[in-house]
Amino acid sequence: MTTVTDMVELARKSCALEVPATVGALGEIASFVMRLAGAAGLDKGAAYRLRLAVDELATNVVMHGYRGGGGRISVRGRSGPDGVQIVIEDTAPPFDPVEGRLPPAHGVPPQDRRIGGLGIHLALTSVDEFGYAHRDGRNISTLTVKAEGTHRCPPRP
Amino acid sequence: MPLSVSLSIEGDTTVIELTGELDAKTAPDFHRTIEKAAGHGTQTVEIRMAGVGYMASAGLRSLVFAQQKVANDVTIKVVGAIEPVSRTIRTAGLDRSIVLSDE
Repeated sequence: MTTVTDMVELARKSCALEVPATVGALGEIASFVMRLAGAAGLDKGAAYRLRLAVDELATNVVMHGYRGGGGRISVRGRSGPDGVQIVIEDTAPPFDPVEGRLPPAHGVPPQDRRIGGLGIHLALTSVDEFGYAHRDGRNISTLTVKAEGTHRCPPRP
Repeated sequence: MPLSVSLSIEGDTTVIELTGELDAKTAPDFHRTIEKAAGHGTQTVEIRMAGVGYMASAGLRSLVFAQQKVANDVTIKVVGAIEPVSRTIRTAGLDRSIVLSDE
């Protein structure tokens, strides 16, 4: 019989997924992320933000990182009472999402807008914390979404 | 989850109804439907999104593409999008040129 303690332990355990860097594998990554979000008890909004962020970063690796040349993406996740942390790794050329972020071109009329480039911006604005490192030939992005709604400017006591 | 896309004409409005998830894998279906809709020459293109539970930036690209394909005087409406989807549209600033409507 599964006890509550077992379930908590399970939720705290780190788990991993490795998939080929293809558009077809993005659904598998999304399912993996949503399972972790469920284990952490994230509400619908937080789970959606986490899924969106991971999806956008993984899509960027597939479309631009490996440039159709094939490769793999590894996703590790850890869920706990405070939220979910996801680490995405790939061996594509170095790319720091913070440096490569393209904010929306609000002043540009629709007919002149570039198509694309917003995914990274969406990803970075969807998570509570984001970190990037390039180590041993690997891009390593770490995303955290907290279990409770985060107040960006919490009121002072 | 797959995306289902339907296209119809109601008076002077071309209606695209989407159900499912709009991401890098499924957005090409939406893209193809927009191309067909742009050829209809109606005054309004209404995109019904109440059945879309998830939209990534690939969906935004389709919406920008729609704006670029239709004539300047054609109104593009997104109807019934759930809150996270309309937030994504607003984050991209597309609510300045696309009409976001609850119904």
